Amino acid sequence: MDPVADFTEDVLRAGVTDSVIFVLMGTDKTYYQEQIAKISRESGLAEYQYIQVRQSRHFMEKHYADKIELDQIAMAACMSRFHFVRVFQMIYGVTPRQYLKDVRINKAKALLKKGLDVTTVCYEVGYDSVPTFSSAFKRGTGLSPGRYQQWHKSNPE
Amino acid sequence: MSLLVDDQEKALKFYTEKLGFIKKTEVPLGEHKWLTVVSSDERNGVELVLEPMAFEPAKVYQKALKDAGIPYTSFATDDVMKEFERLRSAGVEFSIEPTVMGPVMIAVLDDTCGNNIQLAQML
Repeated sequence: MDPVADFTEDVLRAGVTDSVIFVLMGTDKTYYQEQIAKISRESGLAEYQYIQVRQSRHFMEKHYADKIELDQIAMAACMSRFHFVRVFQMIYGVTPRQYLKDVRINKAKALLKKGLDVTTVCYEVGYDSVPTFSSAFKRGTGLSPGRYQQWHKSNPE
Repeated sequence: MSLLVDDQEKALKFYTEKLGFIKKTEVPLGEHKWLTVVSSDERNGVELVLEPMAFEPAKVYQKALKDAGIPYTSFATDDVMKEFERLRSAGVEFSIEPTVMGPVMIAVLDDTCGNNIQLAQML
């Protein structure tokens, strides 16, 4: 399976296009409306770069459970690896690696809440080692996966 | 986090019935109350305090933000366009309709309690 090819195909099949909607009500703009218009005008990045980087984010959201490499993620954005990391960080404020880690931790939280055991959750969210997963989970949430599950059980929503 | 509102009862109605929050705590405190709501997705998550606006300088601050169109706060949502359609049908007024701003789509609504509230979706 080639996740990049699959993803590109999905995008094309869905006919994904980017529509920029910019509607400001009335003619007398508020301070905030003016600021938004100004930021949009002065943004240092071209619209197509936002679109490309968004594609990489969607790629990670879709393939977080697979063993995906930075080169594949950059390819989903149609950029070289170095350029991609720089632009991604400029747009989202974190590196792609950190972003993918956050996606995986959030998915893991949802699975642990459902009652799945830690080992299953580890593999379900793309990690191939339970200690690595547990350590990443603890750094992201402050709790180990087991403690997180216990806490959730004692504080049902 | 706290949000100043000009009328706690009206705010509770708007934030639960229109925006979909769930009431978490309501403790009477003199003429006002400690009133919090939470997201329906995370009932043990961050609580939003609907705080009475009794302090005069706070009224000045809130009005200045409102008049400038600046959101008092921003809520993350998965689909701004869908929320915009739903809320507009429910009679909610927007000062900024869904607008793409680089990596996010935003919209700004009037909470009828003296605040502009921004909805934001990461694209």
